[in-house]
Order: sequence, then structure tokens, then C-alpha cells
Amino acid sequence: MVSEPNAVIAVDIRKLTVKFGEFTAVDQVSLSVRKGEIFGFLGANGAGKTTTIRVLCGLLVPTSGHVRVAGYAPEDGLEKIKTRVGYMSQRFTLYDDLTVAENLKFSGSLRGIVGRKLEQRIEELLEFVGFSRATGAFVKDLPGGIKQQVSLAASILHDPEIVFLDEPTSGVTPGARERFWKLIRELAGKGKTVFVTTHYMDEAEHCERIALMKDGKIIALDSPGGLKASTFRTPLLEILPSRKMAEGSWLPQLRAHPAVESIEPYGMRYHLVISDPARLGEVKAQIPPSFEISQTAPSLEDVFIRLVEAGFIK
Amino acid sequence: MKWQMKWSRIIAVLRKEVFHILRDPFTLALALALPLILVLVFGLAIEFNIRELRMAVHDGDRTYQSRGLTEVLGSSGYFKLTNEVSPVAAMGALEGERAKAALIIEKNFGKQLGSEQVARAQVLLDGSDNSTVGLILGYLNGVQKIAEHKFLPEVASSNLEIRTKYLFNGELNSRWFTVPGLLAIVIAILSILLTSLTIAREWENGSMELLLSTPIRPLEIVIGKLVPYLVLGLGAATFVYLLARLGFGVPFRGSHFVLIPGVLLFITAYLTQGLLISVITRRQQLAMQLSMMTGLLPSILLSGFIFPIENMPPFFQVFTSILPAKWFIQISRGTFLSGSGFAELATPFLALFVLNGVLIMLATKNFKKDLEP
Repeated sequence: MVSEPNAVIAVDIRKLTVKFGEFTAVDQVSLSVRKGEIFGFLGANGAGKTTTIRVLCGLLVPTSGHVRVAGYAPEDGLEKIKTRVGYMSQRFTLYDDLTVAENLKFSGSLRGIVGRKLEQRIEELLEFVGFSRATGAFVKDLPGGIKQQVSLAASILHDPEIVFLDEPTSGVTPGARERFWKLIRELAGKGKTVFVTTHYMDEAEHCERIALMKDGKIIALDSPGGLKASTFRTPLLEILPSRKMAEGSWLPQLRAHPAVESIEPYGMRYHLVISDPARLGEVKAQIPPSFEISQTAPSLEDVFIRLVEAGFIK
Repeated sequence: MKWQMKWSRIIAVLRKEVFHILRDPFTLALALALPLILVLVFGLAIEFNIRELRMAVHDGDRTYQSRGLTEVLGSSGYFKLTNEVSPVAAMGALEGERAKAALIIEKNFGKQLGSEQVARAQVLLDGSDNSTVGLILGYLNGVQKIAEHKFLPEVASSNLEIRTKYLFNGELNSRWFTVPGLLAIVIAILSILLTSLTIAREWENGSMELLLSTPIRPLEIVIGKLVPYLVLGLGAATFVYLLARLGFGVPFRGSHFVLIPGVLLFITAYLTQGLLISVITRRQQLAMQLSMMTGLLPSILLSGFIFPIENMPPFFQVFTSILPAKWFIQISRGTFLSGSGFAELATPFLALFVLNGVLIMLATKNFKKDLEP
């Protein structure tokens, strides 16, 4: 038994269940996140990601199960948790009719940071997030990506050990998303634990580990590479149909082939999974010759489609 | 859990709220323009007094006595007389809405008056306008007394004379009565509407969740948010007070040390009601509608501001007791017009205390429940 608060485990969840009346939002979830890890939470809307985060931030009391955040359980006093975590909610983070400086000062004051120390900290963080505009600008006049950066600054003003980011990059440009993820990696580099939810599969690749949630349950939890390897044990073919033959009888025929496990649309293309690698040539022969066929490495999107949408069970 | 209130956090919320108010044209306009508009509408445009009421007169007697009677009526200031050639013409004036009342003096009026018989003059009133009928009857009663005194001094002095004397507002000036009541209406609108909107707004755009993810306590949020509106409400109340005193010449006969605690109690009651509404609805639109329905309308219609509570059916006389406005209007009118002190106003003050307690209890209970669904 270790008597000191967990030094290495930042977030520990054991059989967490949250019910809203009859509806079970989070169902028997267990996981633990290492200190300094970037942990991703993936899932459709309503899968239970936000509810789990709200419990971890001390905003919601679980129906059953145990959580420890930064070494403290909610029973030890929510204030202990609240002072050690930063939370950036998906819906709202800043007040539109306040300036950047006013918003940050407000967040700081709520956290008990005042005076010269607050000003220094604001300056430091604005530099960190790469905010180069006037701090007297109203938040409503800022573009989405900049708003997100300022929001991040606001949620880490008090130098929290763990940062919860709930869909931090929804609705911003790809460039801004990329810059934001650079900030997340820098935070993790400084020893912060980052717990992030996202809709974007390409973003999830940045995470060290990912939990896939569906209907309140975790259906897979691994590193991006591990998830791909365990979900796709057989080759994945990418088929690019020629434009004029995109529709036709080849698709149902291929789907009916005994060696084809699944075929899913993937943008303009199709991703095809073969159940028996030995019959690869046989399957290829079924595809019209005008199509481009290549063997490809599965992306997280393939994993997500297979596990969450197609309901594939290993 | 150790309960520690941090002033720095309250002040942070307070500062933020002041920024919101100063930058929101709607709130500012409501706070500044509304009291002015209400005072002007209720104080100037709506006249509850009746003056120069048109009365069609047919004098079929044409004697010294009948002329005396019409003279008394005409000089009272309440009536404006028009002469009609026949009783039928007088009736016609009434039916044609050219007059609110008709007086028909029969041929032998003077003779009967002199011969100790009962002298009769007939007054016809337009019963379809029942807001004026009561007043006219009251005036006529007074006119009759004057007439009796004029024509039958010996009778009047020997008989017991019933005289109505209106205390405190001797002229029955409706403005004196209305404007102190307006204090209640203005405070009701500002307090309930603005607080319910400000907190519902935080719920609606999700910032309440963000606030609660910091160590700030719900009570600190509430205090920080309510104080600016308390100041705004007090400002509006002061404005109405000054307008009443200086603009309308309403006397202030009581003590400010009685009125001010009354105002404070009343504002907190409605601030808390606004808070309760926003905690329950969490939506600005709904909060606004509920504020209007439970705050503004009852304050105007059921508080005694326009319609006297004594004239309401027994159920409403009891029901209106849950309205803080009913009690505050008693305090306001009492201090303004009759110079009442705490002793005379013990019931309204006690009632406001109880209502405050109940509202605060309900609001905090619901607020806590909402945080931890």
C-alpha cells in the first residue's frame, strides 16, 4: 500500500456510473491516466465523454463508483480537486462582452490569483498560447481559433496539474487546430496531464492513449497504434473507383464474397477488410480492372468506423 | 466541509457583472428609462380623479331654489352643466354619451322645499361606466349636504350631519396615492426581471458550469451577481422618490428610517424571486415570461396599486398576502401620506420578513439541487 497521494497516476476511475433518472450516461467505466500523459476520449455525441469529465472536475456527483483526481477523491472536498484541475468546457469559455484582459483577470480572481502575480501570469500565458493582439480587444471580435487559445490560457492560469479539454478544437480552422495541438504537447512536456475529447480522428493520433466510448461504455482503450493493430489483424484494401463506375453491381457482389469481412465508404473511396489474407488475390480479381487498388495502413477513422459505427467486436 | 467565503471572489463576480450591465444597452435602458416612463404614464396620463364631469340638466321648476341647486352643483368643480329643454332631451344626452349624468328637477321642487314636503330632484347616471358612478355618487352626497345647508339651515343644524372627511389626502388627489405605489412597481420590474435574466444567461450559455468548476461557491456567485442590481434598484427607487416629492409635490410625512428598511426588504424579496425563477427555468426567454407573470402583473393588478384589495373577493384578499408588493405599497403609502412608523406598519414589515425568508430558502434549496443533478 502506498500511503502518499498517487504521484504517478493523475486520474483514476473505478467502475464509474452516472445515471440521469432512467438514462445511464456513464456505465461502469474504469480507467487510469498517467501523470504527463495526453489522454484522448473519443466517441459520438452522447457517448458519455462530457459527463465523465464533469465528474472528474467535481461538477457532478457520480451515481456509483470511485474517482481520484490528482490524488484526491470528491469526498476529500471538491475544492481540493477544483484547485488542481483546469477545465475548458466545449460550450463556452469566455464572456463575449468582456475584453481578453478582463476575462483572464476574472478567471484569475476566481482562483485567488491577484495583483502583480496575476498580471505576470496573464502575460506569461498569453505569450505561451501565442496571443499577439491587444488585450483590450473584446472577445466577440476575435476569430474562433484565437478565442480557443485565450480560453486555454484562462483554464490554466492557476497552473493546474491536470487539464480537461472538452472538444477544444470544434469549429476552428485546420491551421488553428494544429497550433492548438502543439500547445497541448507543450503542456504535456511540462508535466501536465491533458485529458482531451475530440471528434477529429486525425487529432486523436496525437494522444498517447485513447479511450473509445459508446453508449456510456469504454469499448476500446489503447495507444493509436495498438488500437489499429488489434482492430485490423488482416489487410485493409483501399479501392478508388473510377468516376463513371462508382455505382454499379460490383459493390453488392464484392460484399457477398466469403473472404470479404467488411466494406465501408471512406470519402470517395472504399475501405475493404479481408478475413483471410490467403484469398487476397481472389478478392482483387473480383474488383473491376479500372479501379485503383492499394493496400493501406488503417487510420483511426477506420478503427472508429469499425468499432463504434459498425459495432465490430473483437 | 469548511465554509469560507472569499470577498475577492465576490468582488470578481461583481466587477464582471458591472461590465455586463454597462455594456448591455437593454439593461441600462430598462434601468434608466423604465422608471421615468412609468412615473409619467401613471403620474400624468392616467387621471383617477374626475373633474368637469358633463351633466345634462333639465330645470323644470325655474325657481330661486332650483337655480340654487344647479348653482351648487356647478360651482363644486366636479360637474360641467349643460341645460336641456326637456327631461327627454336630458335623457337623450345621457344615451348619446354627451353626458355622464343627468339631473331632472321637477316643476314643484321649490314649492315642496318651502312647504316642508320632500323635495325631489332626479339624478340619472350612466351605469355602464361603473368606474365613475361610485365617484359621482360620492360627490352628489357632498353636494346634497351643501344644498341642504343652503336651503334648510334649520333642518341641517338640528339633524345629525354625516360628513365624510378624507384624512391624509384631503383632496383625494390620486397622484399622491399612485406615485408612492409606483415605487413598488419600478422595483418589482427591475429586481425580478434583471436578476432572473442575468443568472439564466449564465446557465444558457454554459458559463455557469465554468464558474462552478472553479473553487467559487454558489452563494458567492449569487451575492456578487445580486449586489449590482440591488444598487440599480435603489437608484431607481431614489429616482422615483425624488420625482414624487419634487415633480408631483407628494408630501412625505413619515420617517426615512422606516421607508428605507422597507425598500431594502422589498428589493431583496424580489431579487430572490428573480433568482428563484432563473434557477428553475435556466432559460432567458422563459425567465422573462415568468418574471412578467409572477412579478410585474400581480404587482400592478393585485397589490392594491390600482384596485383596492378590500374590494376583492375574500380569496384574493388572502391570496394577495403572498405578494411582497402588497406589503410594500402599504409601507410606502403609509410613510408618504400618513406618517406611519414601525408600530403602525408592523404587519407589512413582518410579512416582508417572512416572505424574504421563504424565498431565500426556496432559492438556495433549488440552487443546490441543480448543481448536483
